[in-house]
Amino acid sequence: MNIAVCVCQVPDTASLIGYVDGAIDYSRVNEVMNPYDEYALEEAVRLKERFGGCVITVFSAASDAAKEVLRKALALGADRAVRVSCSAEVSDPFQTALVLSRAITDFYSPALPDLVFCGKQATDFQSAQVPSMLAEMLGMASVSGITSMNPSLDSLRINREIEGGIEYIDVTCPALLSTEKGLNQPRKTSIRGVMEARKKTVGTVQVSLHEAPYVVMNALEPLERKKTCSFVPDEDDLIRILSQKHNLL
Amino acid sequence: MNKFLVFLEQREGVVKKNSISTWNRVQELAALRGNSVVSGILVGPAEIRQLDGAMAGNGMIYHAKEERLRLYSQEYYAGVVADTFKREDCTDLFFADTVMSRDLAPRLSVRLQASLLNGCITSDAEVDGVSRPVYSGSFLASFIPKRHQRIFILSSDAQLSSCSAGGNIDFIDVEPRSFSIKDIVPVVRQIVMREGMPDVSEARIIVAGGRGMGGAEGFTLLEQLALLLGGAVGASRTAVDEGWRPHAEQIGQTGKTVAPALYFACGISGAVQHLAGIGSAGIVVAINRDRHAPIFDVADYGLTGDVHIVLPKLLDSLKEFLKKQ
Repeated sequence: MNIAVCVCQVPDTASLIGYVDGAIDYSRVNEVMNPYDEYALEEAVRLKERFGGCVITVFSAASDAAKEVLRKALALGADRAVRVSCSAEVSDPFQTALVLSRAITDFYSPALPDLVFCGKQATDFQSAQVPSMLAEMLGMASVSGITSMNPSLDSLRINREIEGGIEYIDVTCPALLSTEKGLNQPRKTSIRGVMEARKKTVGTVQVSLHEAPYVVMNALEPLERKKTCSFVPDEDDLIRILSQKHNLL
Repeated sequence: MNKFLVFLEQREGVVKKNSISTWNRVQELAALRGNSVVSGILVGPAEIRQLDGAMAGNGMIYHAKEERLRLYSQEYYAGVVADTFKREDCTDLFFADTVMSRDLAPRLSVRLQASLLNGCITSDAEVDGVSRPVYSGSFLASFIPKRHQRIFILSSDAQLSSCSAGGNIDFIDVEPRSFSIKDIVPVVRQIVMREGMPDVSEARIIVAGGRGMGGAEGFTLLEQLALLLGGAVGASRTAVDEGWRPHAEQIGQTGKTVAPALYFACGISGAVQHLAGIGSAGIVVAINRDRHAPIFDVADYGLTGDVHIVLPKLLDSLKEFLKKQ
């Protein structure tokens, strides 16, 4: 079984993103694997451990620096890593999905992978668009935000959290699944894993991109959320304000 | 001329409140812009309940009646929406922000070659661009759609739509798409709803707790408060990671974005990741021991004190108050 996993890099949420002279200062930012992608990779590795005969290939459409994230994926149990290199700059979810779809189509040509895993969204821009777009481009069924998965011989039984409940979904391969927090507990890299990863190579697939982005970001500025907090002396006061002034109770 | 199409999401034959609110907000937008037509698309069983009277303005709802599609099917739903959008020559497609729309909208963006913008409020759509928080809520980014056709996912909003309900709505049956069973993968086999409280993403009042609650037992106070107020219990990332509460209740960057009219933050310090999830909340009340906790910077009202002392008092006072009502 061929499993593709798409990963990207995001600023560690703990690191401070600066703002200097009207521009974002990334100098103190520590880049890490997108946390949702860790669930995606972990689920793929668990499938391989359980069933054997699986080959996991990770794809990343990010810049040259993304090699780090691919190395990490190899250390965590991926078999092959592919950096997707593109002549033009990739700037929106549509273009990201497009170059990934081209890389995956090229790599597995003329077939398609049996399963594609993606994190449900990247934590930096939180668009949550790439997985379903990629599935549409690959002509695959997809389920976004899966919280549990139970594979059997002919289908996958999947749970997804919806508003106020759980959806139980059946899907057959080939399919793309995007992963939600709670699906699994991703493992940490081991020394053995890192050593083994050194023996594996990070390949490159060159893809073309002539299509314009669908969406353009035209401004980015610090967000001030400050409100003026009125401290209330006790609980009765709070209830009085919420009911009389705001009519909320 | 603007031709707006609103996706009306139903679960088990009931159209979601968020969808109705989206319809009403799009009606407002249409009135503001002039020269606009609003229609809706509804996929699901023939019998749809609780729709009459709730919707404002005039418009048509295209109804694809298909008993087998009482439950969501990505491929079929996408097909019906795309067909309708093209047939009616629509310019913009609107969704409420739900799990289903996040599954469906990106697929439609590719199929219709339409720009997809999420996290929007309607006034944003009016100026043809949207702003939403990025980087854990520490920055605000503005996005501009470049395609002629556009898809908007509207964030839920604490501000209720000001337009009055009771519009003149016509239903038009849409010919069912022919499909074979193999076309409808993935198949939703079953839905199991949690009993009791509303979901945090839909609740009007949320009572959320964090590390300061001290453990799973601490949350029984919040459950009592939520029950009294008809609200839902929410949790910070710490409370979920510690296993005190399920992930479904997590609010913040790696959880849900919520927009209740009233939000209680109890024993939550207010990390930016948490604040990213409550940016659209109405009134925020913070209860925390530490007067300098960052949560007070984004709160409207604050009570300083240990939640284990403040909350029981608040519960008692509230019971008294509700008895008198």
